[in-house]
Amino acid sequence: MSTFFSDWYYLSIRSIKQIWRPLLALIPSLFIPIFFFLVNSASLNAFSKVPGFPPDITYRDFIAPTALFTAVFFSAGNAGIELVQDISNGYFKKLMIMPINRLTIILGRLTEVAVQAVMQGAIVLVLLLIVGVRFQTGVLGLVALFAMLILFAMAWSCVSMISALRTQNARLVQSMFVIVFPFLYLTTSQAPMQLLPPTFRLIATYNPVTYIIEGVRALVLSNWSNPAIWQGFAVAGVLFGVMVSLTVGSFQKALK
Amino acid sequence: MSTNIIEVSDLRKTYPPDIEAVRGVSFSVAPGEFFGFLGPNGAGKTTTINMMVNLVKPTSGHIAIDGFEFKRDSNEIYKRVGFAMQEIGLDETSTAREMLELHGRLYHLPSARIKSQVEKLLKLVELEKVADRFTATYSGGMRRRFDLALSLMHEPKILFLDEPTQGLDPHARQLIWNHLRELNQAGMTIFLTTHFMEEAEALCNRLAIMDKGQIVTEGTVDKLLNKHEAKNLEEVFLKTTGSNLGEEEVNLNAADPYARR
Repeated sequence: MSTFFSDWYYLSIRSIKQIWRPLLALIPSLFIPIFFFLVNSASLNAFSKVPGFPPDITYRDFIAPTALFTAVFFSAGNAGIELVQDISNGYFKKLMIMPINRLTIILGRLTEVAVQAVMQGAIVLVLLLIVGVRFQTGVLGLVALFAMLILFAMAWSCVSMISALRTQNARLVQSMFVIVFPFLYLTTSQAPMQLLPPTFRLIATYNPVTYIIEGVRALVLSNWSNPAIWQGFAVAGVLFGVMVSLTVGSFQKALK
Repeated sequence: MSTNIIEVSDLRKTYPPDIEAVRGVSFSVAPGEFFGFLGPNGAGKTTTINMMVNLVKPTSGHIAIDGFEFKRDSNEIYKRVGFAMQEIGLDETSTAREMLELHGRLYHLPSARIKSQVEKLLKLVELEKVADRFTATYSGGMRRRFDLALSLMHEPKILFLDEPTQGLDPHARQLIWNHLRELNQAGMTIFLTTHFMEEAEALCNRLAIMDKGQIVTEGTVDKLLNKHEAKNLEEVFLKTTGSNLGEEEVNLNAADPYARR
């Protein structure tokens, strides 16, 4: 058992170093949320005057949680890409013939995802504070917000890890990136639920990402009594449990 | 109780639907032996060696490494074996020193031993000066040498080598041969698969030649030359396999679950 934690620790350190190797690889997953936040908050500010938009909230504040969420969402797929690279270049085989608990290979990747979520989220958070976004639930709210983002990031990273383990094809795993867009935009990320067209609203209601975004939004703009907070945690927790179980299942299947 | 460090009996591997990569292979290797496993491409050498390190599950048969079996004691086996694979699996986002240290940690070596092993191995494979460079910047020869160093990090009792000098220039090949001779003289058991007859003749105490998933002949170099009335090992190879050296055959290893792209 003692070696289980040390194996997890050292494999996590190895994975975490890959976040900034190369440093330039960090740019796209930061550029996209910052770019959309700056452009949309400037160009769509008048949208907050539309009847049905939550009162006393600027459009900038409304989409600030989306920027935080997107920074984490866009980077969570890297775990699968790195895993499939290990498989393609043969390093995975080296890990397979070591006296380690093989589950620590997956846990190391999940730890990397959590660290990257905090890193990228923190960078976007600083930007949001600079432009004047204020967090209504305070420091504790920020801790809760990052906890929710980490849970979701780890769950989402499992999608790419499962495809890495099942297909062992680097191009396919990289192309999984595109499914981020429907999951992100068929939600309340850009407009409140009551302003969405009916079909769009129906899809957003069944899209689990909606509940994470609403949970993050409640932690930024609302207070602890807002049910969207616990709903967000519940959805993130269930997704985490299901996706990690499926990943471990795929991992064990890949070993057979 | 067997005195052999490797015991393989009636080993078989069939990939779906019915590709028989290995068809009832049996052999044993004594401690300290330098055992060569030869055969044309697609003969089943890599599948056999992958089964011997538990990377591929056998369809049937029995493997014992230093008295341990994978079903019960896989970690005991992993501690005892090193494997330099045909495909050099390096983490290109790490430096050579980082990779060696990580391997030391994952083999649960004490810190002091990791430090001394890292320095010793970097010197052995002549990579001390580039130890802090990312492995992605290494040439083919440097990568092969470093891969050998990685497989030796935990000082295994048995070293498995799958085509360890493929793609190397004569100087780099000679360097690796010298290291392997030294390791074997120090008591390490070495199991080498190769299709270079010159390499097998230069290094191995005993050989088995495999073709179409089966061992077609086995013995010391002298015994094989006498038995097959041949002038050299290449002639033995040609007589027993009917293959031209380097001839491409159906690559049965395509069914290797970790080899898909």
